[in-house]
Order: sequence, then C-alpha cells, then structure tokens
Amino acid sequence: MSAALAAEGLDTYYGKSHILHGVSLKAAEGEVTALLGRNGAGKTTTLRSVMGLTPPRQGRVTVFGQDTMHWPAFRVAALGVGYVPEGRRIFPNLSVDENLAVPLERPGPWTKASVYRLFPRLAERKLSRGRQLSGGEQEMLSIARALLVNPKLLILDEPSQGLAPLITREVFRIVAQMRAEGISVLLVEQNVRMSLAVADHAYVLDDGHVVYSGPARELAADEARVQSLTGASAEEWGPQ
Amino acid sequence: MLQLIFFNVTNGLIIGAFYALMAIGLSLILNLSGVINFAHGGFLVIGGYLAYALTPRLGFWGALIVAPFLTALIGFAVERLLIRRLYGRDPLYSLLLTFGLAFIIEDGTRQIWGANGLPFSVPAALTSPLSYQFFFITGYRMFMVAMVAVVVALLFVLLRYTRIGVRIRAGTLDLETVAALGVNVRALRSLNFAVGIFLAGLAGVLAAGQIGLEPTMGDALLMPSFIAIIVGGVGSLTGTLLGGLLIGVASGLTAVIFPSASEAVIYVMMAIVLLVRPRGLLGEEGMLT
Repeated sequence: MSAALAAEGLDTYYGKSHILHGVSLKAAEGEVTALLGRNGAGKTTTLRSVMGLTPPRQGRVTVFGQDTMHWPAFRVAALGVGYVPEGRRIFPNLSVDENLAVPLERPGPWTKASVYRLFPRLAERKLSRGRQLSGGEQEMLSIARALLVNPKLLILDEPSQGLAPLITREVFRIVAQMRAEGISVLLVEQNVRMSLAVADHAYVLDDGHVVYSGPARELAADEARVQSLTGASAEEWGPQ
Repeated sequence: MLQLIFFNVTNGLIIGAFYALMAIGLSLILNLSGVINFAHGGFLVIGGYLAYALTPRLGFWGALIVAPFLTALIGFAVERLLIRRLYGRDPLYSLLLTFGLAFIIEDGTRQIWGANGLPFSVPAALTSPLSYQFFFITGYRMFMVAMVAVVVALLFVLLRYTRIGVRIRAGTLDLETVAALGVNVRALRSLNFAVGIFLAGLAGVLAAGQIGLEPTMGDALLMPSFIAIIVGGVGSLTGTLLGGLLIGVASGLTAVIFPSASEAVIYVMMAIVLLVRPRGLLGEEGMLT
C-alpha cells in the first residue's frame, strides 16, 4: 500500500501559537482517508500544512514520493493534488464559467465539459456569479474546480459544512464516486458517521495531536468513541 | 465663458485620461501584489526617456511601441529581483523599496540625460489644431486620448476574456486559492506587474510629446493617480478609470472658477467621496482580502 501523501512529525504555527504537534498521517493510494476531530483540533491546519499554504516549521511532507517540504502551494497542486478549501472559497465576482477557467488544467479525463456533465446544475448556472450561488452549488463549483486539475489526490476540507442533508448526501456520493474512479481522497469532516461510512482509514486529531489512527470500520463500530468524537479531548482518547 | 469651460473640461478629460492610465497600472499591481508602487512615476520617466533615445532610430511611431515594452521588461526584472522578496510582508517594506527606487530612477535619469528638460517632438501631422475655434484641441491631444482609450479597452478585454485575465481577477480576491489550484502565482504576479509598468511606460511616451521630458515629470502625475484609485474604489479597475477621469474634469472645471484651487480640489473630492462612500465609488466589501 503506497501513500499518495505522507506527513511525518508536522509542527505548524500560526504566528506564535503552536497548532500542530508532531502530526503524522498517510493517505493511501486509491483509498479514502478521513481526518476527524472537533473544532479547533488542527484539521484544517493539517491540510494547509501538507498543501504548503501554511508551511510547517518542522517535519516532512511527501506527495506521490516527492519531498514537497518548502514547496509553494501551486507546485504541490501541480503534482496532481485537487484542493477544496474550507468555506469553498469560490471566486464571488467571477461567473461559474470563469471560476472553472482559473485552475491549472493538467491532462486527464476532467475538462470543463465533463465537470458540467457531472454537475448539470453548474452548467445551468454557467453565467451566474459565484456569489449568487446557493451553498450547495458553491460546494459543487469548488469540487468541480479542483477536479479540473485532474487530481490523483483530492483534499476536501469540510465539504458538507452548512449544507442541507440532501446535498450533504450528494457530496458524500461524489466522494465515493471519486474513489471508484481511482482518485485518492483525504477528507476532513464534522459529519463523523457519513465520513466513516465512506472512508477506508481514519485519523482523529485533538489539540494538534493524532489521537487515533486505524481502519474506518473499526472506529465506526466503536459507538462510544464515535459519540465522543464531537466532544473528544486528549484525555478521553488516552496517549497515542 | 462657455468656451473657457469647454476648454477646461476638455483639458480635464485629457489630464484625467492620463491619471487613469497611471492609476490603472498602479491598481493592477496593488490588487494582485499588495504593493503600493511609489516608483510608478519613475517608470513613466523611463518610458519617456527611452522613447527619446529610440526616436532617432525608430522614429516616433516605432518608439511609441517599443519604449513601453522595454519599460515593461525593466519592470519585470525589478519585480523578479527586488519586489518579489517582499511579498507577504508588511506593505510598508515594499512601499519603502519602491520609494527608494523612485529616487534611484530619478537620479539615474539625471546622470544619463542631464537635469535639464529635453524637447520631444511628435510628427507634425499630430500637432496642428483641429479647428481655429477650438484651437486647444490639437491632433496630438486627441491622439493621446484615443491611445489611452484603445489601450484601456484592450486591457479590459484581456482581463475579461483571456484565461490569464480571469486568473488575475480571481487573484485580486483570493490569490491563495488561485495558488492552491495549481496556478503559478509567481509568474502571474510578474506578468501582471509588467503589464502595469507597460501602462506607465506608455504614459511616459505620451506625456513626453505633450510636456517634454524632465527627470521629475512623473511626480506631478503620481499623487493624483493614487487619489483616482481611492476615489474610484480600491480593487475596482472600472472605478479607477472613472476616478481618474472625474478628478481630471474636477480640477479642469475648478481652474475656470478658482484657478489656485485646481490642485486642491482633487483632495477635497477624495475627502467627500470617502465620507459618503468609504470604499470609493465602485469599491466593494471585501475586494482586497
């Protein structure tokens, strides 16, 4: 099982505050890896660290076997990493069509035409500005934009945040579809149960430490742990 | 009196077109790189003097085309070697750097071409008045305005319809996300900087034909151009264009009524606009985050 992405001992700071304490994780090729934990645990920071958006002070990041420490984010993405940021971050002043013109288009199956086929709703709203879209449409746009990079690894940061249950299910269906198409997925989510249902491997992060790493099925079976995940603390999880 | 007003409004529009040309270049650079380019007037000077140096070989028309490109090339190099290093730091650093660059360019120009003004002649076909009644509307002035209009229109087309243009607009709002989508934002910023400097270089050639050459010729245009950006709204290029034309006309009109206030009026305008619309005429919430 080779890793699409491997992080070892990441120490990341925002200014003087120490956010990640030696975080290590792997996203295996062809699998869905879920990164769970309560708010402020360091999930987004972990994703930003591996993308090179918030470079870690210490540690090692390897993407498809390449050491990407100290790389700018655009070079990491250009290796074939699609990034769907927290809060979707679509460009509000650009039309849907223009939003889709921004990403680097690596060669591959995903083109504007094929993402419009995957998300017919976006094709209908081609000329609408980003800010006019609903939350669900914005999420679709953010995923479509990342797909145009023709990623081998897709990183999603809380894609279901603020979405209605029906659209949340659609998002998870797409995650499963990406896995079926051979794309590795690293998924950060608040929705623990749905994430564990779609994931192969799971990590739990608390206060900047990895407090659990194991098969998603195993974690899903442990009802007590799943329930405590929303309010999990390092003590409850014990030493790693 | 009517003719006097017409004269001053026309004059104001012409000057306003200049402010706009300068301000749009400044705005491009500010929006994508967060750099307040105090050397913009210096690049205008470089454009003008390069045209002066090239005219004997290329003629006016050749110099008009080549000088702005060479200026842009110099701008490109300056961005790569100096300005890039300060991205992501306190804007004060790049402000100080470009402030210093402005002095270096000014003194460099003095070293090479002398401290005294130099004449810059334009083809005779462009200098004759269009009519006796409107003696002040020379062909050259119309030509300047037309050039500004064409170049600004081209720039807007580029920003609207090309992939690079779309990326620049996206980066104005959220450069980090543009980078996370695999776009080489370093190259994008360099190119964008060069385009902004190209506009300054072109302004230099056009200004040289109207007022001649002087090492300090950029200074008088720089402050009003900053004000054009603020009046129009930081982050909006259309606003910047509008702001440039507005303050040009305002100072032109004031020259009729109260000549000594024609320069002060643009600052008064800025104050009024900021009181009524703190983000400028077309500025939007969160355009520069």
